[in-house]
Amino acid sequence: MIAALTTSAFIVTAACGAIRLLRGPALADRVIALDVVLISLMGAIAVRAAETGTTTYLDLLVVIAIVGFTATVAASRFIERESTQP
Amino acid sequence: MTPIAATLALTGALVALLAGIGLLRFRTPYARFHAAGKASPVAFLLVAAAAAIETGWGGAARLAVASAALVLTLPVGVHLLFRAVHRTTPRTLAIDELAPAEVRSRPGPAGP
Repeated sequence: MIAALTTSAFIVTAACGAIRLLRGPALADRVIALDVVLISLMGAIAVRAAETGTTTYLDLLVVIAIVGFTATVAASRFIERESTQP
Repeated sequence: MTPIAATLALTGALVALLAGIGLLRFRTPYARFHAAGKASPVAFLLVAAAAAIETGWGGAARLAVASAALVLTLPVGVHLLFRAVHRTTPRTLAIDELAPAEVRSRPGPAGP
């Protein structure tokens, strides 16, 4: 019950992020929306671990966090360079 | 789940919902970054605390590493995005404390 409610909330958050990802006026909005979708995925993985008690998928969380950070930094550098060097 | 873990997980889900709603409803990019970049790590921290209570020491160690990675990296990423938006869009802010610092750190129009 608790796990279903929590997972549903994370799914709704990811849906909000996906809508912003599709609609966002600027590239930076899409990047931060992708970050929010990734963090919702991380939260859903943590909820799954809390529900079942298994720790198998918890190793994914670090990987997702680092990949999301790398993508954000690369995209922000890309946004700056794109605007200063037409 | 124990009641404490259930409370933490539900609070984290509520904060995540707030982040999603703020990302969807706010009008300026800065407000959207504010909502998404501050609320979502808090949501993950709460859910990770709930999962750490449930999974014991092995799971708690992995969740601590993941939380540290997220909390250390996400503000940096959001700050870089914020600065990229600040540098590439016209200035419309009422109070802008970053623009004088940018002028000081980048003398001359032909910056790096």
